[in-house]
Amino acid sequence: MADLQAIVARVKNALVSSGPAPSHKAPVAPSLQPDGHRAELVSRFAREVEAVGARIIGPVAPEQLADRVAAIVRERGLKSIAVGEGVVVDLSRVGKTLSESGIEVIRTGSVDGSTRPELRKQLAQVDAGLAEADYAIASTGTLAVLSDETRPSALTLLPPASLVVVRVDRMKADLASALAALGHAALESHRLTLITGPSRTADIEKRIVMGVHGPKSLDVIVVWPRDD
Amino acid sequence: MAASPKPASFFESSEAGAADRELQRKLENASTRHLDHFAHVKAEYSDYEEERSQSRRIKEHAIAHLDELIVELTGKLKARGCAVFAAATVEEARDYIVNVARNTGSRRVVKGKSMTTEEIGLNPALENAGMEVLETDLGEYIVQLRQEPPSHIITPAIHLSKEDIGALFHEKFGIPYTSEPERLTAEARARLREGFLSADLGVTGVNFAIAETGTLVVIENEGNGRMSSTMPEVFIAVMGIEKVIPRLADVSHFLEVLARTATGQKLTTYTNFIGGPRREGEVDGPREMHVVILDNGRSTMLADPVMREALYCIRCGACLNVCPVYRHIGGHAYRSPYPGPIGSIVSPNLVGSAAGHLPFASTLCGACKDICPVKIDIPRILLHLRWKESARRDLPKWPAPAARARAGARQFARLARHPSAIRLLGKLGAIALKPFARDGWIKRMPPPFSNWTGIRDFPRPRPRRRKIGADED
Repeated sequence: MADLQAIVARVKNALVSSGPAPSHKAPVAPSLQPDGHRAELVSRFAREVEAVGARIIGPVAPEQLADRVAAIVRERGLKSIAVGEGVVVDLSRVGKTLSESGIEVIRTGSVDGSTRPELRKQLAQVDAGLAEADYAIASTGTLAVLSDETRPSALTLLPPASLVVVRVDRMKADLASALAALGHAALESHRLTLITGPSRTADIEKRIVMGVHGPKSLDVIVVWPRDD
Repeated sequence: MAASPKPASFFESSEAGAADRELQRKLENASTRHLDHFAHVKAEYSDYEEERSQSRRIKEHAIAHLDELIVELTGKLKARGCAVFAAATVEEARDYIVNVARNTGSRRVVKGKSMTTEEIGLNPALENAGMEVLETDLGEYIVQLRQEPPSHIITPAIHLSKEDIGALFHEKFGIPYTSEPERLTAEARARLREGFLSADLGVTGVNFAIAETGTLVVIENEGNGRMSSTMPEVFIAVMGIEKVIPRLADVSHFLEVLARTATGQKLTTYTNFIGGPRREGEVDGPREMHVVILDNGRSTMLADPVMREALYCIRCGACLNVCPVYRHIGGHAYRSPYPGPIGSIVSPNLVGSAAGHLPFASTLCGACKDICPVKIDIPRILLHLRWKESARRDLPKWPAPAARARAGARQFARLARHPSAIRLLGKLGAIALKPFARDGWIKRMPPPFSNWTGIRDFPRPRPRRRKIGADED
């Protein structure tokens, strides 16, 4: 592409004519915090999650997860929920329990040209989305969620109520550690979203309002296996 | 095309801003609230200064290797299935985007918040081509409804009160008047949701472009960037060449400082790592993705050893909130998509020589330099631009006034060695000014001082009760 070469050449000339930069030192990689004590990480994470206006549930044992999710769905008065594929937690069992209790459950999966519009429409109308985060970040109360064909990003974006599960061994101390754990390969082939609290704005007089284009409520459920 | 600012119009608009007490009240409220939030998160974050230095260092490194990084980024983006277009000018960028919109048969365009698209004047260009363009950031949506430009790079509607917005929604949508931010937001959400689901084309800006992985990072709180980049079939990201950073490991430093200075959060609600069009089997993500990399005067800035620092800017907007001039005249007065201190630096390069007067619209107080997350020495660049502008225009040429100023300073220095002389002069001055004082203020004086008092009132000099250097009580 000629245009690109022209711009690169211009930038190169500009760099030559402005002389040496103040420092040519290569940037330092962030120092990764050790994950530390699990209970400490979880309590830090819980504090930060609550601070950004989301709710923390748990820790919950894997076998109790389905009932806990069902309880949240009942409490929030949700009639329908879209359930994505899990990462290390089995979400299909949760879906089954919800179905049995009379909630309309939409399972997301791989689509083709003909089934895509239908699933999109369902995701836009459903009351809630249930997804699993790949990692959680304790220092900021953040969920790192990759998306692929079984875990669309719309799950945590379109429904007004968002439920996100994360397993305790996926808890990282800080952002740099979470990005390192995700690794280059994941980022070179997927979209990644870091989610910190419900969707919000402060565009009207700098007053915080929850629920703009994304979810108005966010429930974060920490799963902690008993033998861990 | 962004409105070409003219010096005369800047004086008019800044006077209008300065006379608008209501505007100052709103700006004061918003700025104070922002600075409180910032102070709060900074206080509980021990590594802030360290992260700031790191961010600065990464930018120095990235800009020093910008040519290689652009090549690397472009290669990675193409490998991920993106079309990349390098635009030298705003016209090239605009034409390319309008062509993509036409070729894909797009009718409805949704935009995430992007100052770069304001810079290239994208909306009018798309509208002239028969597209319907919808701004989806709440603040941008509000100013779009009012048919005016944003007045702040982070908070576009910072110049409006909730009552203003209530009245606007009542008038435009015919809904009952309310000034409740929650109700107004819910109304906008419903209307914009409709827009997202039916849009053919999404456009957003970019905060960081990671060369190593070919990832574009878009930071936001509302979800408009997520929506615009995943819902429509076609997606275009627009970025200046200076947005490239080398590695994935670099991004965490910036995310740590940017949210803190921009909005006083630890992280914004959504940090989107966008990586190319959707893959086989995926329900969301665009069918095709384009990235427009814009020069438009940036390489000229890069060629100037003093100016190049301005390319380190990560557009956090904090310098606007601390600037006494911005807080007094408001963003619209600058008549550039980039107002405030950083705007006064970049506008002359990005908007052209018509913004050459902006570097003079500063008190050089240095508050911007103190808060800048990447430590840009804005006052130094402002002085540099003033010098360049004076050389360019037929302003009084340097040597004469400079020599006069130096001679004056020398005279004063001689005088200042004699405290008694200074005190005597002060007394005489006070006596001379006394007849002009009304109620303790001097508001009017005869020429040649009328120029001064026409725009300023100052308190009547009072006899000094303590000697210089005496203990303060």
